[in-house]
Amino acid sequence: MAVATRLTWSEQKSLEKMLGNVSLRLLYKSSVHERDIRSMNEKCTRQGPTVTIIYVGNFVLGVFMLGDHPEEHNNFKTVNPSFYFSFQKNAITAMKTAVLETETKINSGQLVCYSSGQEVFSVHPGESSFSVDDSLRNTLGTYLRSGSKYSECEVFHVDGIEDDINYISKITGATKHRDSLLVELGTYKPCVDFVSEIRILLLGPIGSGKSSFINSVKSVFQGRLTRQARVGSDVTSITEQYRIYPIKDGRHGKYLPFRLCDSMGLHEKEGVGLCMEDIPYILKGCMPDRYQLNPSRPITLSHPNFIASPSLKDRIHCVAYVLDINSINDLSSKMVAKFQQIQKEVLSYDTACVLLLTKATNCGEFLQGNFSNMDKPMTFQSRIMDASKMLNIPIYNTFVAENYTSEWELDPIKDTQILFVLRQMLRVAEDFFEDLP
Amino acid sequence: MAVATRLTAMQEKKLQNYFGGKRFTLLYKASVHEFSGSNCLKRCCGQGPTLMVIYGGCYVWGAYIRENYKRDDTVPVVLFAFQENEISECDVGAHSPSFFLYEYSVSCSNSLWFLLNLREKKATVSLDTAKKLGLPQDQPISLEECEVFRCEDLLDKRTMKGITQLHERLLHDMKTYSPYGGLVHQIRILLLGPTGAGKSSFFNSVKSVFRGHVTHQALVGSDTTGVSDKSIYFLSLALQIHFFLFLINNHIRGAWVFNSTKPITPVHSNYIDNPLLKDRIHCVALVFDINSVEHLSRDMMAKIKKIRRELIKCGVAHVVLLTHVDSMDLISRGDLGDIYKCMLVKPKLETVHRELGFALSDILVVSNYTSEWELDPVKDVLILSALGQMLWAADDFLEDLPPEETGRYLMIINCGILYRVLHFI
Repeated sequence: MAVATRLTWSEQKSLEKMLGNVSLRLLYKSSVHERDIRSMNEKCTRQGPTVTIIYVGNFVLGVFMLGDHPEEHNNFKTVNPSFYFSFQKNAITAMKTAVLETETKINSGQLVCYSSGQEVFSVHPGESSFSVDDSLRNTLGTYLRSGSKYSECEVFHVDGIEDDINYISKITGATKHRDSLLVELGTYKPCVDFVSEIRILLLGPIGSGKSSFINSVKSVFQGRLTRQARVGSDVTSITEQYRIYPIKDGRHGKYLPFRLCDSMGLHEKEGVGLCMEDIPYILKGCMPDRYQLNPSRPITLSHPNFIASPSLKDRIHCVAYVLDINSINDLSSKMVAKFQQIQKEVLSYDTACVLLLTKATNCGEFLQGNFSNMDKPMTFQSRIMDASKMLNIPIYNTFVAENYTSEWELDPIKDTQILFVLRQMLRVAEDFFEDLP
Repeated sequence: MAVATRLTAMQEKKLQNYFGGKRFTLLYKASVHEFSGSNCLKRCCGQGPTLMVIYGGCYVWGAYIRENYKRDDTVPVVLFAFQENEISECDVGAHSPSFFLYEYSVSCSNSLWFLLNLREKKATVSLDTAKKLGLPQDQPISLEECEVFRCEDLLDKRTMKGITQLHERLLHDMKTYSPYGGLVHQIRILLLGPTGAGKSSFFNSVKSVFRGHVTHQALVGSDTTGVSDKSIYFLSLALQIHFFLFLINNHIRGAWVFNSTKPITPVHSNYIDNPLLKDRIHCVALVFDINSVEHLSRDMMAKIKKIRRELIKCGVAHVVLLTHVDSMDLISRGDLGDIYKCMLVKPKLETVHRELGFALSDILVVSNYTSEWELDPVKDVLILSALGQMLWAADDFLEDLPPEETGRYLMIINCGILYRVLHFI
């Protein structure tokens, strides 16, 4: 029989995607190689992270182990963070998972996983049987008794995982966290009833990632990469119009009660990039959607769509300064002066503000295992401090994000981070209302 | 140490192609799993066809065993070696892997013998074989590393089954697709690119995929403006796709409008001032032969960047379509199953992304039907996915339209951004 997995091509692809766009390579297959622990070990030890899958009828039960497959001669348990998953064949989308801090060991011909000293899962290749403890069985939805036989056992090597102790919780936690943020934002309502939607303005140098951030937010809500706001890199700003983008919850969903406002990028020279005199009009809410921005001339009252008496809902409630985290220290003094001038203006309108630092690679580092906090990584600490000082924005209102720019598909870790930043922006904007007379 | 191969992308691809379109799975790596013949055997027997690669100094060579073997089986072995980036082979007849992996040398009367002593990091081949493969004549040859891979067909039964299912699903999605908000019933796509880029054959390929058989529609000759108007393609009664093909040609002089019923030149003076939404172009695809992306002239690149800025100004969605991927060196049908991850295609995508500024997810790769008679689901999947991306892009465009337009299907005259004239010099 060929050494090929029982998973279908698309099941394998789904699994690979879920594990973080990895590649699975089959090492051991019980029906082809010998059914004993020694054969399994010969082929699977020292290969790095593995996925062990057992097939019981139509049911697939698997365990991903971050550490090496345990060695037979070790008399001790080795720490091996793992996560368990199960699904019915042809229904991989309804997969159940469980994460455990486990230790693994080979014990009397069985591969055994212990959690807190208790045996939770074991595979006995010699007898083609497995066992799962009660609590795990309940989580995974399997109703099989211990000692049940499986028809096949396969072990795969997992290619493409960064060596990271938080990897598992990130992978399983990210999707859950993202989904709960989506629900929270999908049911968001401004805390005050006299404003039906929150307006957030993105301001920053040319190419800093304002339009990309908007596309990223839209993409996460739509569940696919979309590029409504045109992006790219050029010497002059790609964005040439002032845009007030609504965000829909899902492709056919309702519009959410917040709008992201995009503008031309800032440039240190006068007459290039966003005209400084336009900013007060934008903040007050006088500038209409799709106004063609002119770098050398601000909008005037004579413009046909100029909003002469903007109401509270037309105003900008929160300004997000968007800066490329990698070039914070390269900003010219003229640019810094411009920012400080803008910040003065913004504060004079009592508008809340936050700082968003973009193009931070490996944003995954920022997320702690339990996702309750966005911890800032050491590598960026100093830059974050510098940026926050420069604009006089407190650290707790400074966020780091990585936009979708050159990816093929969405990634739950990035999604979570983008939604988290958006939610914080909304919270800060609400503070603005609290401060109103 | 990571269990990763020492082979370069090029070497790996060449080997994959040489041995019949295979995918490699690394099973054994001496520096990680111990330099021991018995360890190697334990990990590699019963794994199907295997490829052993030996690295010694500047030499990269090894053995290909095309049959499955158990511990003591005798199987045909073919030795190979890289000689100046090309592979040469030498058939050494039938051997038993457990024999040639033994740690002590045994003499053999066969003139084409080969022995591998992993523990002592030495390999021995007969002088004839060494000559044929360009290996050093003084024996034993020292080695630093040994890797063994399982070889699987790129398009094995399982993969083909998966691709066929995907094909059906994409076809179904396409047939039931309806544009955003039901705003239009005909999506108009402009294919723009140099001569020979593959615009007409892409159109024919799309048509073929939906027809269920290959059609090579005789091309309506393009007029002097270089515009050819393809007939409408029906997806369903509710939705049609209308393709326009336009040539980017150094010799064309003229002005044309993105938002009229048809790209025009000054010869045509009847352009429409306020084209209806249904008459506008909803998505532009810049079409290039994938082999040409690294050799685009500076002139052409400047033109493309200019077009892109105009497209952005008009708010028209745009993607890049790279064609003829199967004509690339070393790319075979087997690679089409996972082409975007292919190590030889990725650099081309990066080039377009970097030099022309398109987002990676906006760069599509296809292989058109040119001289085939039969449809191939592997090709169809690529074509359908590319078309799908164009439709999604058109959707984004429709969604981005100001409400006035969608409500009344007419443009407001003072939205000066709505039409632009582009001059080619």
